[in-house]
Amino acid sequence: MPLAAAQAGAQVALADESLRLTGNGAPTALVQAVRGSASITLFPATVAAGCYADHWVALAQPARMTKMRAGAVVFATGVIEQPAVFRNNDLPGVMLASGAARLAARHSVAPGRRVVIIAANLDAYVTCLELHARGVRVAAIVDLRTAPESDAAVSACAALGLLMLRAHAPYEALRGPEGTVAGLMVAPVTEDGRLDGSAPRRIDCDAILMSVGWAAATQLYLQAGGSTRFSEELQQFVPVDSPPGIFAAGRMNGVYDLESRLADGRRAGSQAAAHAGYGTSNGAVVARSTRCPSHRFPIFDHPLAKNFVDFDEDLQVKDLENAAQEGFDSSELLKRYSTVGMGPSQGKHSNMNALRILARFRGVDVARLGLTTARPMYHPVPMKLLAGRSFYPERRTPCDAQHGALGAVWMPAGNWRRPEYYAVPGESRAQSIDAEVHAVRSSVGLIDVGTLGKIEVYGPDSAELLDRVYAGRFSDLKVGMTRYGLMLDESGVIVDDGVIARLGEEFYYFTTTTGGSATVFRELLRLNALWGLDCTLVNVTGHRAAFNFAGPSSRGILQQVTDVDLRDEAFPYLAVRSGQVAGAAARLMRVGFVGELGYEIHVAAGRGREVWKALCAAGAPQSLRPFGVEAQRVLRLEKGHFIVGQDTDGLTDPHEANAMWAVAMKKPFFIGQRSLRILQARGPRQKLAGIELAATAPLPKECHLVIDKGSIVGRVTSVTHSRALNKSIGLAMLSPELAQVGRDIQIRVDNGDLLAARVAPAPFYDPKNLRQKAGAGA
Amino acid sequence: MSVVSLELREKRHRLGLKGPRAAEWLAAQGVELPMTPNTWTQSEGTGAADALLVARLGSAEFFLEDGTDGTALERISPSLDQNPPGVYPVLREDWAFHLGGDGVHDVLAQVCNVNFAALSLDSRPLIMTLMVGVAVLVVPQSAGGGGQGTAATRHYRIWCDPTFGPYLGESLGAVVIECGGRYTGVSG
Repeated sequence: MPLAAAQAGAQVALADESLRLTGNGAPTALVQAVRGSASITLFPATVAAGCYADHWVALAQPARMTKMRAGAVVFATGVIEQPAVFRNNDLPGVMLASGAARLAARHSVAPGRRVVIIAANLDAYVTCLELHARGVRVAAIVDLRTAPESDAAVSACAALGLLMLRAHAPYEALRGPEGTVAGLMVAPVTEDGRLDGSAPRRIDCDAILMSVGWAAATQLYLQAGGSTRFSEELQQFVPVDSPPGIFAAGRMNGVYDLESRLADGRRAGSQAAAHAGYGTSNGAVVARSTRCPSHRFPIFDHPLAKNFVDFDEDLQVKDLENAAQEGFDSSELLKRYSTVGMGPSQGKHSNMNALRILARFRGVDVARLGLTTARPMYHPVPMKLLAGRSFYPERRTPCDAQHGALGAVWMPAGNWRRPEYYAVPGESRAQSIDAEVHAVRSSVGLIDVGTLGKIEVYGPDSAELLDRVYAGRFSDLKVGMTRYGLMLDESGVIVDDGVIARLGEEFYYFTTTTGGSATVFRELLRLNALWGLDCTLVNVTGHRAAFNFAGPSSRGILQQVTDVDLRDEAFPYLAVRSGQVAGAAARLMRVGFVGELGYEIHVAAGRGREVWKALCAAGAPQSLRPFGVEAQRVLRLEKGHFIVGQDTDGLTDPHEANAMWAVAMKKPFFIGQRSLRILQARGPRQKLAGIELAATAPLPKECHLVIDKGSIVGRVTSVTHSRALNKSIGLAMLSPELAQVGRDIQIRVDNGDLLAARVAPAPFYDPKNLRQKAGAGA
Repeated sequence: MSVVSLELREKRHRLGLKGPRAAEWLAAQGVELPMTPNTWTQSEGTGAADALLVARLGSAEFFLEDGTDGTALERISPSLDQNPPGVYPVLREDWAFHLGGDGVHDVLAQVCNVNFAALSLDSRPLIMTLMVGVAVLVVPQSAGGGGQGTAATRHYRIWCDPTFGPYLGESLGAVVIECGGRYTGVSG
């Protein structure tokens, strides 16, 4: 194969697991020619550990990992010998025959002093002769079949005078005083694998070699996108459909005879070279072998079990049958439930037998079940080969340096770094956060919200798109106004939220959660393409800086640096306006997330710093404080606003989150609408409710459980101490009967104590929203 | 010792356009367009300093960057204020880098899965990929024009989202310096 490709003019890399290139039975002259070819680079002692897109192969060498991008890849990965499954097949001394033969041939190590070979193919007889020639005594060959093939090797074995049993199978390996093999009990077996264990026969031995079949090493081929089918004739999976540039050859391809394998290699080599642009493809397709090298069911029951299928995971036949009985009766489910094939050998010795057991259980052919694809790395790879540069992309807003200069204490938020709070000398963390909250409530505060997702949608169908992807209605939103939007998935679960602003008849600008921006944008692109709407989406998340400038003094201060008329009559609550802020083109949205008069200011990223500086300078006379994520959490919690993903979970629908006000059920369609109708009819499983605790009570933690009559009936999702309210407040997901205002609940904290709390109406602060709407002190 | 350099490029005028009629509109403004997706063109101009780069991202999106002395975008941008149908502006505040030198491929091999060394420049390919985990736009250029070009004559123009700019610059810069090169960073 490598020679054929090299002779066509291609540069060839040959990765071989063996320490030395042996050719695996190939003529010596051929091996020498490969070694001597200037166009062939040998990678000895190298494992192809994974195959990725675009012919990218990970080559694990003894000292390094080579990432090889090839023009074409030929998989001549061979077959892996499979064990027989019988009682005590995990004893030391039970071995694969090919392993024993290799030990003897390469290292002159005898597998035992008295050996029994379990046979189901010609390889068993060849191994017998090899071992005999090296002085190893073979006591018996126990052939599962009624008649082995006619072959010189079989005749030669018979001539040795050793015990040769046919239609017999291993019933039980016997344990000696040292815990190793002391003998093998064998019993008659029928063609369909039924063992008659009523009168087993003992054969004394100290090693049991198994030569009952092979599994094609197709995993790398599958990783490369190839597909296989199960060949009943060969009792193995064989390639059927290869993606461009991927080729299979040799025994993995179902071709076993040496001459045929050589021809198949030449065919695959020339095809690979041609695909890579060298020479033309030649060589006819080689017929697959007609002699079956594998037994169809080398698995034998025993009343006392201990017949192991997966040696990594200690799985016996009964474990797999029990899994199938439990309903995990596909190859994928069986793997995940039983963990078969999940050990270090990645199922090399267990997957095939597990499939056979599953097929028997279901009464179907193995071909009906299919093979799972192992994840890379297919072989265990030393950690040292994976060491290297590690990249952890981190996003920083344009004002990152300003935050640092102001004493920001950083916290991760998705892949962003954000100020948790701004440390002030002489203040504790709690004092700083408290002061930041107080500044917003009493005067003015400024927070960098540039991490919010920011998306524009243009075009005649932009309103239609938003009406379909958000639960609310946006086609009737007036130009110059904003509206809160709730995004659901198909099952009606809340997945994101944000503010949608209409900047033109066919132009919207909207925000998403910080963590959801990429996902939302990608999903909207997909849906837009799927629905064929005439609109265009633009993700400007990183290209726009954004700030929330909030507090009762915010309007007066902001007016100093903007040409936008901020008076209520010109710029009412929930309006959006465009204009200049500190000389930069800006979009201003009057929102109320923190519960005060406030403006979200969006400018081009490159202008972010100067706008931040200008706002800080203008606010300084009125004791402006920048505030971080922690203060914002307190502020929003005082207003009872939930955070998607924190106060909601993967099952929370708008009804449970008390957010049906943001849902327009009368719309013809939106994602999640149908599920929401079903969920509404069923009634909520849980309800998000406000809770309050006495100011003197210890503060529970988020995720502490709510207990009622000894049962778990909910959990705390957010909690904080509110200086403005002089009590502790929070949100909790409760069973519906508990989520009634005034209801007393108990929260179990870390030390097991139960804290008393009460369900309370939210918002906790300024419940009529007068401060954010009117902008005056309530 | 190999020579390799990473330079954070000074601010230039950039414009993004997207939409079903973006190509038609740009052509009407006299802008020479790449005809196939994921390729680029550069106007001849009077010199590199005023050359206009036009990159086609997919079929219906364009990224334009003026040379340091270029005025093309100043000329055409005002026409966008009339909101031509099917033509939508895309705010481009990218950070831009210039990576070059005869050790450039040693650096790229460590930070990106694309084999840039094997890339033919004849078709003026535009590469959208991940570099140190960050989505980037890469325009490979050769001093001699198209073809393979030697490493010494190849250089790469790289753009990324500005919020990833500091990380990309620091990460690439560290590899460049390890490879014996220099990183000329300026404030973004």
